Amino acid sequence: MANLKDIQRQIKSVSNTQKTTRAMKLVSTAKLRRAEELARRSRLYADKMNQVIAEIAGRIKCSKVGGIENRCFNKIENPKMVDIVFVTADKGLCGGFNIQTIKAVKKLLKEYKEQNVKVRLRGIGKKGIEFFNYNEVEMFDTVLNLSSKPDKVRSDKFIATSIEDYKDGKIDALHVVYNGYKNMITQELHVRKVLPIDTESFECGQEQHTSMLEVEAQDEEKMLDSLVNKYVEYNMYYSLIDSVAAEHSARMQAMDTATNNAKEMVKSLNVQFNKARQAAITTELIEIISGVESMK
Amino acid sequence: MDKFKLEILTPNGEIYNGEAVSVILPGEEGEFGVLAGHASLTTLLEAGVVDVEKEDKSVESILINWGVVQVDEEKVIVLVEGAVAIRGESESEIANALEDAKKLISDIADANPAIAAVSAKIESAAQNLL
Repeated sequence: MANLKDIQRQIKSVSNTQKTTRAMKLVSTAKLRRAEELARRSRLYADKMNQVIAEIAGRIKCSKVGGIENRCFNKIENPKMVDIVFVTADKGLCGGFNIQTIKAVKKLLKEYKEQNVKVRLRGIGKKGIEFFNYNEVEMFDTVLNLSSKPDKVRSDKFIATSIEDYKDGKIDALHVVYNGYKNMITQELHVRKVLPIDTESFECGQEQHTSMLEVEAQDEEKMLDSLVNKYVEYNMYYSLIDSVAAEHSARMQAMDTATNNAKEMVKSLNVQFNKARQAAITTELIEIISGVESMK
Repeated sequence: MDKFKLEILTPNGEIYNGEAVSVILPGEEGEFGVLAGHASLTTLLEAGVVDVEKEDKSVESILINWGVVQVDEEKVIVLVEGAVAIRGESESEIANALEDAKKLISDIADANPAIAAVSAKIESAAQNLL
């Protein structure tokens, strides 16, 4: 049986851990509230942006506006090179949050490998980068400290490389993988194909409510170009915001579970401690009594 | 007069959502006005001031730095990157809004000559309110 001192030390250590996890939970709860608010406000904008793009994509597909050639709206057969951008947290201790994203990226990598497509992996967030470094998966470039503090300027700069390469024909698709916020207790994994813009989902044939697109001819290209840039940039930024909110909610949950587990552990250690204490007393008593007996 | 639904959205939330009688937008090729029943149109906006005429004839000015507008027969959706509405209940609120607007103007990186005109315009919008 473990001796009394050992058990006491263990109890102290576990309750110290409990204090840490509880504090981390509180911090995450506070941060989550802010991140969630930001994500909520941005969602509206992101939705509308997607709607505008989808409408344009649909019109281009159904070729109601003649002569627009923009690579971003074309379906590309037999891609040769694709970009995968993943967003993970910079810090751990948030349950399965990072590993879910990593798994999705691995799956995507495997799929492309089977099709003999080259992949440029671009990483945001320390945890994912560390994982792929350890597994010796080559990464095109990596960014730290962006997923914990989303910054529009930095995220624009990061994604600009992909947009340019796409337009130049160096890459044929752009995927963004991140773990997004759904509600306080669930995260939702998103694997989004940002480029080329999906026109599949748009049904042709049905007469649309608004059927005119009035843009000056020479401006069409420029307008679409700049709109697509904004669309991709904003999607990237929104992924980051959504990912932060999800990270905090995941951490909050993980830390809550950890605190509860620590509580359970202290409880069972206390029982063990009391048992050991009583056993020690009993042994002492027996020793005293048998000592007295032998003196008679 | 006919009215239409106008939404102005920024990444940080809605800045305007309601009915309007007319709206003047700073398009890339120059300012243009939209009334109810306008033919559908999608175009880009540059830095400038959006003037919203409401039902009670009052005009609200909103400064924007970049945007895209989608107009159809019933509603107008304006997506902007950064925007400041020149409005407020008291003098100090209006002054604050004006401060914010000036900050946004100085933030617009590629300085172009149009910006000076914009700044004069929001000053006068604030003056009218005071």
